[in-house]
Amino acid sequence: MATITSTTVSLPLPSSRRGLGWGDRAQRFLLHDRTLGYLFLFPAILVIVGLVAYPFAAAIVMTFQAKTAGAPGRFIGLDNYRELFSSEQFIRTVMNTVVYTALGVGVKFLLGLSMALVLNQERFCNNLFRSFLLVPWAIPTVMSALNWRWIFDDASGLINNVLVRLNLVDETISWLSNPNLAMLSVITVVVWQGTPFFTMSFLAGLQAIPKELYEAAEIDGASVLQQFTNITLPRLHPIFVTATMLSAILTSSAIQFVLILTNGGPADRTMIFSVLSYHLALGGAQRLGMGAAVSLIFFPVLVVFIVFLTRRMLREKGE
Amino acid sequence: MALRMTAQRRALQGLGNGVLVLMILWTAIPFYWMIVTSLKHDKEIYGYEATLIPQRPTMANYATVFRETPYLLYLRNSVAVAVGSTVLSMIIAVLGAYAIARLNFPGRALLARSLVFTYLVPTSLLFIPMFALMSALRLTDSLHGLIIAYLGFDVPFCTWLLMGYFKSVPVELEEAARVDGCNRVGALLRVVLPMSLPALVVVTFFSFTHAWNEFLYAYVFTSTTGARTVTTGLVNFMSQDVFFWGPLMASTVMSALPPVLMFLVFQRWVVKGLTLGGVKG
Repeated sequence: MATITSTTVSLPLPSSRRGLGWGDRAQRFLLHDRTLGYLFLFPAILVIVGLVAYPFAAAIVMTFQAKTAGAPGRFIGLDNYRELFSSEQFIRTVMNTVVYTALGVGVKFLLGLSMALVLNQERFCNNLFRSFLLVPWAIPTVMSALNWRWIFDDASGLINNVLVRLNLVDETISWLSNPNLAMLSVITVVVWQGTPFFTMSFLAGLQAIPKELYEAAEIDGASVLQQFTNITLPRLHPIFVTATMLSAILTSSAIQFVLILTNGGPADRTMIFSVLSYHLALGGAQRLGMGAAVSLIFFPVLVVFIVFLTRRMLREKGE
Repeated sequence: MALRMTAQRRALQGLGNGVLVLMILWTAIPFYWMIVTSLKHDKEIYGYEATLIPQRPTMANYATVFRETPYLLYLRNSVAVAVGSTVLSMIIAVLGAYAIARLNFPGRALLARSLVFTYLVPTSLLFIPMFALMSALRLTDSLHGLIIAYLGFDVPFCTWLLMGYFKSVPVELEEAARVDGCNRVGALLRVVLPMSLPALVVVTFFSFTHAWNEFLYAYVFTSTTGARTVTTGLVNFMSQDVFFWGPLMASTVMSALPPVLMFLVFQRWVVKGLTLGGVKG
């Protein structure tokens, strides 16, 4: 095939009576792949550098400084890190973040997989059910968090309202301020909001499995369970990995659920790194360096996921 | 054998239907509570006379929201920020994605990689230096500041999404256009873009809803009523303590409606666009 590659194609420039004038030369220069490429990407590069790379580098510098907003920072070496690692609150925050992320992502994963399997069955009005089950994902997370705060309300929330009505409890339950329940309550909200993401991803994966595989397995006498473990699970494996990693990044760093539901309390029982970082940096004391250090300590863990996902997302787009 | 198979299938279908009912209840009940609360008088919301089903539904809470709060202002701000950041990120992403998908120049692969990497870096790692940066540039408490800040998320994501789509537009079509006298820009505008309409829809949906839903930057960068968006405005209602659940749920319902409607309309494309690079896990 006589392919014309984009680099060698000769551009049909308008013929000029005055030979190659300035305009023509400028146009030819501008339409060269290299020039045009950098020109087109310039705004995107500006965004990446100005709004992500620079702030990120600035965050690293800040962690070695005692800095308040508006004032220049003073270099203090590793003091911020030293103080954090000797603080009980920080150690608790690390453990909370791990529990919050692992439990949240784990339950979302299992519920999402069950939802996807159920929605992959054939039934009347299935499309309607699917649309409906995905709606929590489309609702702004802040709205979901506000709504759930009201559902959990000590005095008149839905859950206590029903429990009292059914005479199941003598006293209403403080879902968000009981130290033993607060974390589970927050995770419930995270799961409610985030399950549809897994459902959507897994359902797309299920629908991409060729039906012939199951038909062949059936002829060979494989049971439903065998088909699930030998066809469905291996075929979904790549999606399992990507969805879980993406969700782990976003779940661990989402601030709004905890901030709205418990603000890290009671007694730091729901304090996760994003919330602690916010409190330290902008919650009165204005210790920007400490706040930045809290977030950055988690970066080495996140970066493993980020690098892996970057590779996979580029491969998907044929890069 | 075949009989056992059918029995297994039937049992599974039954189990599936049962699970589906539970899932629907789990999804629906919070919605129900949100909507129903917004339609109740205070008497039915609190205390001994609290109800599960409103006895005398009322629109009073909605009236309160519009009459006694700056909700309309928040709404206007959200629309302005969402439209502004969507239009800007669309332009930047279309150009960038076209360059990566079609042009050959050194550093192309590295730029593609940095874009995706950037998209995956969560804002909770960046908000503190971003706050310092915004303060230095006097962009706090301003809608322009938010529009600019949101580009940091929207541009990488939209570029990544469009990049893949542009690659699937046959190069031959574009070359034909160029033989007919179109230059690169003309080919992009007249051939590639019209053929990428579904991707443009998805990109619009994502950047619009992202701006609409975003909380952290909006919360950190604004402290005055004039620049608050819907998300931070409502959280502010809650922390003021004078504002009760009836009107708060009314404004929650209204604020959740635009993204939900958009999602239902564009669902088919959105789900496809999200299968890998989705937001909000």
